[in-house]
Amino acid sequence: MKSSISQIKDSLRDKKISVEELYDEFLIKAKSSKTNSFNLLLDKENNILSIKESQKRYENGNPLPLDGIPLGIKDLFCTKGIRTTASSKILSNFTPNYESFVTQKLLDDGSIFIGKNNCDEFAMGSSNETSFFGPVKNPWKNKNVPTDDLVPGGSSGGSAAAVAEGTCVASMGTDTGGSIRQPASLCGIVGLKPTFGSCSRWGIVAFASSLDQAGPLTNSVEDAALILNSINKHDFNDTTSSNHVREDYSIGINDKLDQKIKIGIPSDYLKDVSGDILSQIENTKKALIKHNVEFVDVEFKTTEYALSTYYILAPAEASSNLARYDGIRYGVREEGKSLDDIYLNSRTKGFGDEVTRRILIGAYVLSAGYYDAYYRQAQKVRRLIKDDFQRIFNDVDFILTPTTPNEAFKIGDKLDPISMYKNDIYTVPTSLAGLPGISIPSGLSTNGLPLGIQFIGNYFEEKKLLQIAALAEKELNFNEQ
Amino acid sequence: MSNNWEMVIGLEVHAQLNTSSKLFSSSPNQFGSEPNENVNFIDSGMPGMLPVMNFACIEMAIKTGFALNFNINKYSVFERKNYFYPDLPQGYQISQFEFPILTEGFINIDNEGNQKKIRIERAHLEQDAGKSIHDIDPKFSFIDLNRVGTPLLEIVSYPDLSSAEEVVSYMSSLRQVLMYIDVCDGNMQEGSLRADVNLSVRKKGGELGTRCEIKNLNSFKFIRQAIEYEFKRQIDVIESGGKIEQNTMLFDTSTGETRAMRSKEFSHDYRYFPDPDLLPVNLTQDQIDKVKTSVGELPQAKLDKFIKDYNVDKDIAKIITVEKQNAILFEKMISETDVKPKFIAAWLVGDIFAFIKENNLEVSSLNEKTKEITDLLKLVSDDVISNKAGKEILPKVLNGQGKPSDIVKELGLEQVSDSGELEKIIDEALIGEEENISKFQGGSDRVLGYFVGKCLKATKGKGNPKLINKILLERLKK
Amino acid sequence: MSDIDIKRISYLAKLKLPHEKEEFYANSLKDIIKWVDNLKMIDTSETEPLHNVTEKTVSIRKDEINKSNSVDDVLSNAPERAQNFFKVPKVVE
Repeated sequence: MKSSISQIKDSLRDKKISVEELYDEFLIKAKSSKTNSFNLLLDKENNILSIKESQKRYENGNPLPLDGIPLGIKDLFCTKGIRTTASSKILSNFTPNYESFVTQKLLDDGSIFIGKNNCDEFAMGSSNETSFFGPVKNPWKNKNVPTDDLVPGGSSGGSAAAVAEGTCVASMGTDTGGSIRQPASLCGIVGLKPTFGSCSRWGIVAFASSLDQAGPLTNSVEDAALILNSINKHDFNDTTSSNHVREDYSIGINDKLDQKIKIGIPSDYLKDVSGDILSQIENTKKALIKHNVEFVDVEFKTTEYALSTYYILAPAEASSNLARYDGIRYGVREEGKSLDDIYLNSRTKGFGDEVTRRILIGAYVLSAGYYDAYYRQAQKVRRLIKDDFQRIFNDVDFILTPTTPNEAFKIGDKLDPISMYKNDIYTVPTSLAGLPGISIPSGLSTNGLPLGIQFIGNYFEEKKLLQIAALAEKELNFNEQ
Repeated sequence: MSNNWEMVIGLEVHAQLNTSSKLFSSSPNQFGSEPNENVNFIDSGMPGMLPVMNFACIEMAIKTGFALNFNINKYSVFERKNYFYPDLPQGYQISQFEFPILTEGFINIDNEGNQKKIRIERAHLEQDAGKSIHDIDPKFSFIDLNRVGTPLLEIVSYPDLSSAEEVVSYMSSLRQVLMYIDVCDGNMQEGSLRADVNLSVRKKGGELGTRCEIKNLNSFKFIRQAIEYEFKRQIDVIESGGKIEQNTMLFDTSTGETRAMRSKEFSHDYRYFPDPDLLPVNLTQDQIDKVKTSVGELPQAKLDKFIKDYNVDKDIAKIITVEKQNAILFEKMISETDVKPKFIAAWLVGDIFAFIKENNLEVSSLNEKTKEITDLLKLVSDDVISNKAGKEILPKVLNGQGKPSDIVKELGLEQVSDSGELEKIIDEALIGEEENISKFQGGSDRVLGYFVGKCLKATKGKGNPKLINKILLERLKK
Repeated sequence: MSDIDIKRISYLAKLKLPHEKEEFYANSLKDIIKWVDNLKMIDTSETEPLHNVTEKTVSIRKDEINKSNSVDDVLSNAPERAQNFFKVPKVVE
């Protein structure tokens, strides 16, 4: 059983273990891991000052909220003085001179970074197979084919695998179309994507600016709440950062629900799903009904358009966001006789297949003659999707869906892009609407692989969302399965 | 070359705004700094960086909206213009496309007495790019990003201009207005104001031709040269049976010729889309009204006022209003004395400007000396001293050598304006001049000058020449 | 649906696709564009595009200078630099 942040803090406080010993323990495990969940591990020497200061605070009896907790950080967050690659060749030699807003908050709260987690290149992927540093392996195995290496999901596959295998207490990931929730589901852990605008995007390598959100991957809902407390803050330097008043998300997380809760289950999401997936929903229903939760059928009008909308808008924004990677001011520069050659060679050789593909899609849907039919149309449909959710939220407090349409599949299995994109079918709509979503592990498939369920809340209602997720987590008792 | 060709020109003027910091980053907006001194991570397009808008740029755009008779659009959107160039770190320029902040304005230009209204289609805010230095080394270019992100207002006219002179007149009027409202410093050598000229030719009354764009002209001289050259070039092409290709041209300042930029394999497609890192601008009426109060009096209004209310000559009024600091000096002087503005104006554009030019001063440096200047002018206008004496004293006053009245006393320059005294002198001077007197009465005006000179000499130059003239005439007519 | 002009698209994206991969990417694009074409069936004539999920911002700067990094911070990752310039092969216009 993995320890929670609170339990670890207690052990540190009670001197059962020191901050340094704790770090050593996780680092040894990380170094011997075979999942390739880290692009970079930080030796103790890199962190020795922080470790010592953290220890001092424990001894003085005034530890910070995440003091001494070893965290993994997805290699998409710019970490000052620490190589940040976005799992891409083109940034494989890049060391930022600035710290992202979110990771700075984690440092301010005393956490210690054990390393940079592997991920899909530029966060583009659902299986962590596009990384320049090689694929990540899911620590879980299909009990019927235990020799198969399975995907952990993506793009935050490294983060999910690391948390699942216990090489960090929690990891900071990003979610654009499901990149926190989907790998969390496939690795049997918790993954939270906050409301768009909750957590600053400043210093995060941008993929799709109107969709990217930072969020925690953790072993428990409570741990997710604790990390959310740290990172969920307004940032003036991010124009899309929301200025609403934040709350403490961990206080009262295990309290009884004080009112009747209504949860909608989209019937169209459950059409044609496997028995395994269906049972996750059924078990969740059973678990929560006894707590004064009512379940109703709801129906979206826009489900069949969500993936198309996403796969127009996200690549479009990405094609523009990735234009800055040219080998001129930073990153890997390839040889070239002319300046144009340098651009062409650096970019072509620096980006992998999937990134190249998405840049091309993006350039296409924004180009003259196609902008109205694709990009503009997708933006309009996005509004329809947002309105669709609001219509449903008029009636219900939360929406419950499976997180993924399938369990973890074999590395190399899904070569066709579109079949890969369909992994995101349950997570993408939430992203398009900007709503908060959390995935918790709900059970095992017939192959013994973890499956997750997703709760979707209304804008900025993370506190309530975490409460219902914590309740479901308790009742479903995944860790005992 | 047949004579019934005419040119059709539209101008895109880029004006750098006079803010302290850049449009989307808080780096300094300064010219002439050390390379890459004014560059932060946002400007250099580093991973994860985000833009934050400088509201002063919006205010300057609104001011310009009032000054150039634009519709000020409450809703406007920043969009990304995507293309690759080494001086464009993000790989896109943040600009405005579908929803610019200003639309449908105009300015009246005065081209050698002919008034013409030049309609302006739109003006929008955008980032400036960096600079590449190509001529230091044969094999390499060097990139300085200081200018990246400097706020620009791009002002796009309708193709209402039909000659190089009109273009220069338009651009200098724009420049004047922008400087008056403190939106741009108008320094063309430093690149504060640049123009792209779009020129096509057509037979008089014929259809519009294909236009070519000549980029980045930063002096009136080059604008004139480029237009003249391009006009001829296009006519030559057409008259020899060719077709004009829509090209982007550069003007070679050393040869005086335009040439097409290296042709690209595919045409530009900027793939504009709203910048997802920014929110649309939504101005309130309050915000717009607040800016209106800071616009101040515009050059045309000042010109009209000087001519109508102050009775100043049109040409002199033009000189005074050409630069705001001239007008400020003038208006300050008027407010401090009862000397007629027309009188002050003449002295200003004459001896005072001459002094300024000779001594390489800023016009505004005289603002602290207006009391002394107007005191001096009053002495002249009241006939206490002669015009000539005034001119003599002026430099001393401007050099801070003392108060005018003191200097006059010191140098003994008071005029003799006592009619009685002068009459005596004049009568004396006329003694023995019967021959000249009859010459005058016979119609010779030159003799008058001779007599005035003789009297002035008799007064050792202190006689009031006007009065002498007057009294002489009275005497001579008898 | 017209054929994908893969040469033009890759030109716009500043990518030089290896010849043997051009068809691969062109087909990929074709499939994906066909897949997302279902959006054309929706009537959006009454709908405004959604540009931002965030509806309000306070991120509007006063006109103040804030220099928080050195020249070196900006140039330290440069593949090639000459004193305080970024150095590139000569650009011909």
